[in-house]
Amino acid sequence: MSAPAFEAFLAHLYVDATTRARFLVDPTGEAERAGLSSDECQTLSRFDWVGLELAARSFDRKRQQTLHRAGRRLGLWRRVTRRFRRIMGTAAQEGSP
Amino acid sequence: MKDRVGIGWRPALAAAILSSLDRVDVVEIIADDLFDVSNTELRAVRTLAAQVPCVLHGISLGLASAVPVEALRLDRMARVVEAVQPDFWSEHLAFVRGGGIEIGHLAAPPRTDATVDGAARNLERARSVVGVAPLVENIATLIEPPGSIYDEGTWIQKVLLASGTGLLLDLHNLHANATNFRFDPMQFLAQVPFDRVTAIHLAGGKWIAGSIGERRLLDDHLHDVPEPVYQLLTEAGARAERPLTVILERDGAYPPFDRLLAQLDRAREALAIGRACAAERQAA
Repeated sequence: MSAPAFEAFLAHLYVDATTRARFLVDPTGEAERAGLSSDECQTLSRFDWVGLELAARSFDRKRQQTLHRAGRRLGLWRRVTRRFRRIMGTAAQEGSP
Repeated sequence: MKDRVGIGWRPALAAAILSSLDRVDVVEIIADDLFDVSNTELRAVRTLAAQVPCVLHGISLGLASAVPVEALRLDRMARVVEAVQPDFWSEHLAFVRGGGIEIGHLAAPPRTDATVDGAARNLERARSVVGVAPLVENIATLIEPPGSIYDEGTWIQKVLLASGTGLLLDLHNLHANATNFRFDPMQFLAQVPFDRVTAIHLAGGKWIAGSIGERRLLDDHLHDVPEPVYQLLTEAGARAERPLTVILERDGAYPPFDRLLAQLDRAREALAIGRACAAERQAA
């Protein structure tokens, strides 16, 4: 098992509720099925369960927000840069520094 | 060069920031927001940078990973850095994807030698493609990173040593992690190599609870900066010898802008107290 594969396992755990549910029932079994080494399975025996629940919830909310905001953000930037160019254009005409 | 105190540039705050440039020393722009904008729009941001000092902040590169950062992502960052010419740019010590899955936010990697080496390699790639390495930021985490063999302070020191890069010290992230995982943030600061610290983030957060009732502090950037974070800023001011760029991060639930300006003033005050303490110590 490699470090990238361990990160991939964590990413699945944080994002996929089904993987998380299986892991909660049988942490070692789920880790073994994901191909983690016995040493890596051992490190998961000291798992922060409260942290997993809260982090997964927080990541889920962030993904929803990102989907919601992705299009809006670009539009906002365009409006802001248009307004900024107008302000700067007006300032230049008035001779402001 | 003197300490500077500023705020994160957000479209919703733009007008208020532009009309308060006498009280905002520097603005921090989210680089990722500019990845898809046109060259004309990038030029407008460059014009902004000519009016007020700008720094850039990345959120999606995922540099603290054993997986190499994708070249395309670095190319997009390089385009923005080249166009805006910031005083510096920064990214988080986080991984944000794995095995083809986007986590959607900053996740703390396992604190191991593999991620120290991976982060150092990714930072070197970033330096090579963008032209200058980013400052790296300590992140807040709600979960003790599984598979870790180092505590946070030790792991960050190892990354800094291996990469030679500077640190953007997020004091609310430190406060949240210290609160959630019961360590002393002042002791953490005592371990920080302050000769590497160039910038500081301030923010606020809120308590959240799990299903069994245990609470943790979430760094959400939606609340005012709490008093313990100013105390950490005073300590940082006492320890850092070089000038610091301090940025207030606020991502929503915006209060009247005067309240954000008051937090910038409070930050200046906290920093000044720390600087005065350091001067007294040096004189004694």
